[in-house]
Amino acid sequence: MGAAGAGMPDRDELQVWFCAEVLPLERALTRYIARNWRNTADVADLRQEIYARVIEGAARGIPLQTRAYLFTTARNHLINCAKRGQIISLESVLDLSASHIAIDQLTPDRVVSAREEVGRLADALDRLPPRCREIVVLRKVEGLTQKEVAARLGIAVGTVEQQMVLGMRAIVDFMLGGSGRLKRPAPAPRKEAVP
Amino acid sequence: MTAAEIEILAAQWLLRQEEPGWSEADREALDAWLDASAAHQAAYWRLEHGWRRADRIAARGVEPAAAPAAPRRFVSRRIAALAASLVVMAGGAAAWLAYEPGRATYATEIGGHEVIPLPDGTRVELNTDTRLRSEVTPERRTVWLDKGEAYFDVAHDKAHPFTIYAGKRKVTVLGTRFSVRRTGDQLQVTVVEGKVRVDPLAPARPAPPTVLTPGQIAIAKDAATLVTPKTVEDAAAELSWRHGMLVFDQYTVQRAAEEFNRYNRRKIVVTSPEAAQIRIGGTFEVENIDGFVELLQQGYGLKIEKTDDEVKITG
Repeated sequence: MGAAGAGMPDRDELQVWFCAEVLPLERALTRYIARNWRNTADVADLRQEIYARVIEGAARGIPLQTRAYLFTTARNHLINCAKRGQIISLESVLDLSASHIAIDQLTPDRVVSAREEVGRLADALDRLPPRCREIVVLRKVEGLTQKEVAARLGIAVGTVEQQMVLGMRAIVDFMLGGSGRLKRPAPAPRKEAVP
Repeated sequence: MTAAEIEILAAQWLLRQEEPGWSEADREALDAWLDASAAHQAAYWRLEHGWRRADRIAARGVEPAAAPAAPRRFVSRRIAALAASLVVMAGGAAAWLAYEPGRATYATEIGGHEVIPLPDGTRVELNTDTRLRSEVTPERRTVWLDKGEAYFDVAHDKAHPFTIYAGKRKVTVLGTRFSVRRTGDQLQVTVVEGKVRVDPLAPARPAPPTVLTPGQIAIAKDAATLVTPKTVEDAAAELSWRHGMLVFDQYTVQRAAEEFNRYNRRKIVVTSPEAAQIRIGGTFEVENIDGFVELLQQGYGLKIEKTDDEVKITG
């Protein structure tokens, strides 16, 4: 994965690259992790760790082949985690063959129409539990501040923020191709893979 | 720190930026947090990207402002409002703030019951099989009852009357508690508190407005509006659906059956004309069809036939 000749990117360039080239691959990446890791509860964490590694690497030079770079990083990270945690047998790690990567590389991300996107956002909102949705709607649609939302509903500001955090994470997950399920605070933390 | 914990922190940063009082010092603190680790950047950039995308989609989803009474495409209970009211502003941080009017469509299915807070502080409770559209802004408070029944607890605001359009009638209030039920062309307005005014939309000849006071129930159909003086308790009984109950006071079996049928997919059919005219009273849970017909069976010796989707009262 060659680095671009432009040298070290600054943080803004890095962000533009990450959002424009890496995030559109999230759906494929998530599928890849899920297929190669036994515990589905770890998928979101692993993905986040892979993103961090990808950013660390790109900070030394934006890669030319983002997709290949992302999936190679993902594969290496999964193998490292498996070795370190000894959670899964190495046989399943052997499934992390290049063929999977090739398949994912060939699957074009479907272009979603504007209408579908509106529907998707609607679905994302509808999937939230009623209380959470109500708070997100008051905050986003009615334009109330968190304090005003809290006063309107007679709840603590902290609760509003907590619900907004849940709602935001679920909506973003859904927007990027995930299930849009709420992620409650993680249970027992998995062994850290990123130092 | 786990990835999930980092994501929560990132979400909090993003949310705090959208609150009033976000300062340059906060901005610097956020920058420092981002610079501290690639994991922070990954979580924050990802959330920000998806969150802004939701903005853009919502903004793009805006349909050209339709005439208020025209039917709107029913996207979802609230997305119509989101789509219509989100304005993406330059400068990112303010993008979620909506300054445009809050228009929304709300609906319940058969047996449904939902409480909706409107932006002006008014609370609306939708009864079974109901559809309501709203446009509530600082200048204007208007809703359209397309079908069904709703109970309104209207926030008091003398300068901005709250108007409900329902078929050929317009119901205007300043702040009060009442319900409006629309069955096709017929409208029933039940007042619990305050004053409510009912006007025809296009009167054939000038007529004085109908002003209802607590306890009064108006039934309007075509050109006629009939006002029945009742007690506040009677009016409250009319609103028992708010607690999931049906209260019958000297109702015919036919009318009681129709009430049950509003709330249930399994319908009560009265095939015997004599049975249909029997008058009954009582309080029932809206879903309790079986309890209701059982009492008819025991108390009046009526014959009942049950199938999966019907309960027939045959004599």
